[in-house]
Amino acid sequence: MPETTLSSPSPASPSGAETRQEVRFRGGGFAPKSRRWVAFVVFAVIIAVAEWGTRTGWISALTLPRPSDVLQTLIDLYASGMLFKHLGLSLTRLVVGAALGASLGIAVGVTIGLFSYVRAGLVPLVAALFPIPKIALLPLFVIWFGIDEASKYALIAFGTFTPTVVATYGAVDNVDRSLIRMGQSFGLSWLSIVRKIVLPGAMPGILSGLRISLAIAIILLVAAEMLGAQYGIGAYILEAGSLYDLERLFAGVLILSLLGVLLSTTIGMIERRLLGWRS
Amino acid sequence: MKLSRRETLGLIGGAAALGLASPAIAQNRKTVVGAMNLTSHSGSFIALERGYFEKAGLDVELKFFQAAQPMAVAIASGDVDFGVTAMSGGLISLAQKGAVKVIGGALAEEPGIDGQKLLASDAAFQAGLTSAAGLDGKRFGVTTAGSSFHYMGSKIAAAEGGIPQFVPLQKVGAVIGALKSGQIDAWSIVPHIAKPLAASGAVHIIGNVSDFLPNYQVTTVFTSEKNASGDKGLTEAFLKGFSDGVADYDDTMVDRTNGDEAVDEMVKLIHNYVYADRPLEKAAPSIINGSMRLNRGAALNMASLGDQLAWFQAEGLVDSAITLDTIVDASFVETIDG
Repeated sequence: MPETTLSSPSPASPSGAETRQEVRFRGGGFAPKSRRWVAFVVFAVIIAVAEWGTRTGWISALTLPRPSDVLQTLIDLYASGMLFKHLGLSLTRLVVGAALGASLGIAVGVTIGLFSYVRAGLVPLVAALFPIPKIALLPLFVIWFGIDEASKYALIAFGTFTPTVVATYGAVDNVDRSLIRMGQSFGLSWLSIVRKIVLPGAMPGILSGLRISLAIAIILLVAAEMLGAQYGIGAYILEAGSLYDLERLFAGVLILSLLGVLLSTTIGMIERRLLGWRS
Repeated sequence: MKLSRRETLGLIGGAAALGLASPAIAQNRKTVVGAMNLTSHSGSFIALERGYFEKAGLDVELKFFQAAQPMAVAIASGDVDFGVTAMSGGLISLAQKGAVKVIGGALAEEPGIDGQKLLASDAAFQAGLTSAAGLDGKRFGVTTAGSSFHYMGSKIAAAEGGIPQFVPLQKVGAVIGALKSGQIDAWSIVPHIAKPLAASGAVHIIGNVSDFLPNYQVTTVFTSEKNASGDKGLTEAFLKGFSDGVADYDDTMVDRTNGDEAVDEMVKLIHNYVYADRPLEKAAPSIINGSMRLNRGAALNMASLGDQLAWFQAEGLVDSAITLDTIVDASFVETIDG
């Protein structure tokens, strides 16, 4: 009995032609492809649902503004010429503040990455500064830097500085050591190694860190314009909020979102240019 | 104890039946009243502490806010039933969307009674800002656009033919800081904040708001549209309790008809809510300084509200199609000046 059961599964059929099993190709997938239209469909569906909901009364006027009204508000804002007054001031604050914070952050981050004493001294300090809610310091900044533009630049710069530092020294740490050793064995000077190996090697990490810190800069723009700003996108949003004017609130938020997409695209372009060597 | 599904359903049914059986104006009905730690909210404090709300059949819980705007939003969302605050642009917008309704008046300017003050920073004062006439082009502090400060500053300056710049600073504390350090030139505020500031020397009082806006209805009583139109019993009960509190306050603190002892007693009561972080001896002068008229019976000054609405519309802060009827339900209280 047991012998028959054991012998029954025969590995190869002895009767003539071998049956070959087709092996399906299992590779592929897990590789993002460009499907640009999907994003537009997602946006269009969300906006269409909001428009339909507010028109039929399924969504009350208190909950969401009508998307077409928001668009009309944006058109009116453009027609009145105020859009560029708000945008101009906000962009100046954003560019000056973020440029200050990011360049200082990259400089400090690189020195932390390169020098052990600087690392030992500054990493705990940065760790202590990072979790401070910058908005809470706004009244203090007003006393330090005055109520005008300087306090707004300072707030945005401070907010972008810490994440940039952390991203930068992390990126410098992650530079391939074997490349540095190779450079040393070819007799490159220290400065040459930093310039030709460390900085290009750290660039991907620095740029992806910048994506985050620039988004933080946009968030802080609204906070910076809480105190003493009469014009600017953040001031516009805050005013709309205090008047409970949802159309203007969403119009302002939309501008900030567009600003975020624009910044992200710009960094993407910089990445393609600076990191062309990767491909 | 473990309930079977049938027992649970029975309990739920029983509870629902109990809820249906209770009368419209139940005894000790849970009501949330929004307040700020200012003497202008004393009507609510007194009505709660002296049991006037309880007598009206309400079990009132006070919920405190740092600014008028969040209180208006909380009433619109139904988290708070009644509130007392200035008729801000936000309140008008919420009323337009059918969320809130003004049902009564509270704090009011009255000629002859010490009211809100116009302040100038020391630097601006030394540079010649000694009266409202100099406000043109000066930096006037406001919490937000469309706040009562914005209205007062604009109206006072306009009376002298000037247009100041309005600097939004979000919080009263931030405005005080900016005024003290000379970052802004002028501001207007209730007397219990204005007088100690002026006494410190960093700030000067350069005028009275009531000289420019006599009978200005500073704050109003408001509630959700749902309470105003659908639950008139609750709204009337609240106004009854609130008015009793207001009457006590006016008699004792403003008209001083009850003698000094009553004043001391009331200051002690208010001190539980206003300047509670300071010792009573220090807080008392500020609380007494802050005594401004609260409208008896929560009467509404429709003329002042109409003027405020017209200003908001002229400034483009609210929709120009809004009428006073959309904002105010004047059926609950008496009105002054038509």
